[in-house]
Amino acid sequence: MKLEILEEVTTNVFLAKYGEKEFLATKSKFKSHYGEKKYVGLREWIPYRSKLAAMIMNGYRLDLKPDMKVLYLGAASGTTVSHLSDVLERGMIYAVEYSARPFKKLLELAVERRNIVPLLKDASKPEEYAGIVERVDLIYQDIAQKNQREIFVKNADFFLEEGGEGLIMVKARSIDSVADPSEVFRRFLSELEEDVPIIGYGKLDPFHRDHIFVHVSDSERLK
Amino acid sequence: MKGEYKVWFGSVYLRNSEVEVVKSDNLVESFIESRCVKLPFSLKNVALKVFPSEDEYYSELRKTALMVAERKVEDELKSSDRYVISLLKALDELDLGINLFSEKIRDLEEIRTGDEIEEFRRIVRELRKLRKEIEGKVNSEAAKLMPNVTELVGGVIAARLLERAGSLKRLANMAASTIQILGAEKSLFKAMSRMKKGKKAKTPKHGIIFQHPHIRTLPKSLRGKMARFLASKLAIAARIDFYSGELKEEIVEAVRKKYEELKAVTEGR
Repeated sequence: MKLEILEEVTTNVFLAKYGEKEFLATKSKFKSHYGEKKYVGLREWIPYRSKLAAMIMNGYRLDLKPDMKVLYLGAASGTTVSHLSDVLERGMIYAVEYSARPFKKLLELAVERRNIVPLLKDASKPEEYAGIVERVDLIYQDIAQKNQREIFVKNADFFLEEGGEGLIMVKARSIDSVADPSEVFRRFLSELEEDVPIIGYGKLDPFHRDHIFVHVSDSERLK
Repeated sequence: MKGEYKVWFGSVYLRNSEVEVVKSDNLVESFIESRCVKLPFSLKNVALKVFPSEDEYYSELRKTALMVAERKVEDELKSSDRYVISLLKALDELDLGINLFSEKIRDLEEIRTGDEIEEFRRIVRELRKLRKEIEGKVNSEAAKLMPNVTELVGGVIAARLLERAGSLKRLANMAASTIQILGAEKSLFKAMSRMKKGKKAKTPKHGIIFQHPHIRTLPKSLRGKMARFLASKLAIAARIDFYSGELKEEIVEAVRKKYEELKAVTEGR
């Protein structure tokens, strides 16, 4: 069987085919980080494990440039971070995670890669890393917390470069555990829109049930 | 604009339009101590006054961050079990205090009203406020230490299971059947000693986890079933929490489904 490239989704991100299997992957010279498969020069990017991969699989395109600076809130053990690290060859990822156990795994990744700055910090307190993190082009947030909207806006105020963008992963149940997800999302979007302009949003089903992604741009109102 | 900013590589002084940078001679220390409001200048531009190049800046930053992270992560892992447990104990003691004072107030009121009663009431109000804060802290710290167990049963019950087990490591090594009756040891051993004597006895269905609404709200005949199911998922959750620490949504889903199934059985009757 041979490996076939079907589409270059964005720099270093590919839709590939191996035998019958079609999959998303990033160009990578590094070893497997979370049990994903490796093909010649490619590392499989599993949408069930990474919400960013799910977003891409569902057809949404995000322009990732190799020299981007990213603030990643809720890096966990670095599943998605590992792929971003593949993509942003000349960039830098400030990876914030507050829970020690997954952070340990993230740390292994950061040792191996040259473009990750691991920070064992609480994303709701940007003051604690304001003297460390520079202005960034993208803030990625996956923190599953009730007040994640406030946390995002606060971080955007601190760190988002003019013309920068944000990507927010929202889990309905962590915002309201009983309400109907579509109602939760509607409320979340309308509240978020008061602070930042929304470029796009969409579902992460079937990979992550009752989740959406929200793509926002930087706003004058923040300044 | 004026001010001093403690950034990771030292101090930045702003005087009118002048920027002065003093590089720290111990980057690890200044990294740990750094705390800032939103910076009114570009961190990297300022840094390039004391770092020879951008590459040099990033490589120093990364090296320092790694050193600090390695140190901090070990400290956290060592102490977070005990922290959650001591928070839980504080919560229990606050409850005791609140009950004690509330009772005193009632006793006093029966005799006569007076200033000291108002004082007691004030104390109870303060204690309740503190209790709420500590409860929030138990929840957030438990979610940090054991996200899956906390997602299943909430911070307080999760902390109580942890307290009984002694540490997350021990909880992760427990069989589901042990978790199921954690906190009901007395009743278990009573039943066992009766059995030894050849008498009839019933072993307990649940210990701490009985406090969970999924069990408490079911009729007695189904509680055992639910307790067994919840405990089996808790055992898995504790293991994921100990070995990986990442949230797995499927477990919570499974428990909710089981509960709804059992609930439907009762309503069908």
